[in-house]
Amino acid sequence: MNYLVMYHLAALALLSLGIYGLTSRKSLVGMLISVELMLNGAGLALVASSRLTPAIDQLGQIGTLLIMGLAAAEATLVLAIILVVSRRFGTTSSASIAILKG
Amino acid sequence: MNLNSMVHPVYGLYLMLIIGGGITAVRAKSLVRALVGLIVTLFGVAGMYLLLAAPFIAFMQILIYVGAVAVLMFFAIMLTRTSDGESGFEDKAVDKTYRSRGFMSIWASGLMFAMLAMAVVRYMPRAIPLKPETTMAQLGEFLTGPFVLPFELISVALLVSMAGAVLLGFERRKAK
Repeated sequence: MNYLVMYHLAALALLSLGIYGLTSRKSLVGMLISVELMLNGAGLALVASSRLTPAIDQLGQIGTLLIMGLAAAEATLVLAIILVVSRRFGTTSSASIAILKG
Repeated sequence: MNLNSMVHPVYGLYLMLIIGGGITAVRAKSLVRALVGLIVTLFGVAGMYLLLAAPFIAFMQILIYVGAVAVLMFFAIMLTRTSDGESGFEDKAVDKTYRSRGFMSIWASGLMFAMLAMAVVRYMPRAIPLKPETTMAQLGEFLTGPFVLPFELISVALLVSMAGAVLLGFERRKAK
């Protein structure tokens, strides 16, 4: 099989696993883990595309690096939000966070 | 030695790591186990980057994800608890939408995978043989040359997220 298709199918598997986790998980930390899975799939697809097509090589690799930076920033912020939610509601289950004015 | 004949088994090994770790990450009841699954997946993806001859990205993946993001999530698990007062587990309380939601999750992800996989298999252009490895000097030149604006923007985004996290932490302390 085409190498490009193989790597893209792996990235696609990561994406759909992430979507499954994001929609079925109930705790905020579990949802964060699923988002990280999806971001990894995006990075893998970018690097595979830039390495195995005539595109500029640096474009994909630096793009993946930027995705990693954004993922780190997002994880930091989500961790802080989870801590505030846990302090205010006493739980991090997404079903119990249903009040707008805390 | 023919390197090309090595690609398939190694790729299969990494794919197994990715799928197995991913399933653990989304299915495990214990969040710590889910996180360990995520780390296995991250190592699998790093292996695929190595297979694609992009070692810089592979080691950045291990450094940033496994070294920073995973540790951050361990802290998030440690500092929070579910409604039964337990730490590090999925909320066990089963509400009436629980079953149908699990079913719909499988549908949503499975259908999307099937449709996108069909498009990928059908319309993907032919792969060219692997290009020679891009050196780190070339990557750096690209990052400070044509890509300098995203490079600066990502530092601003990181600064803003750090400041936001600190601010949220402060407010929590004042409320107590």
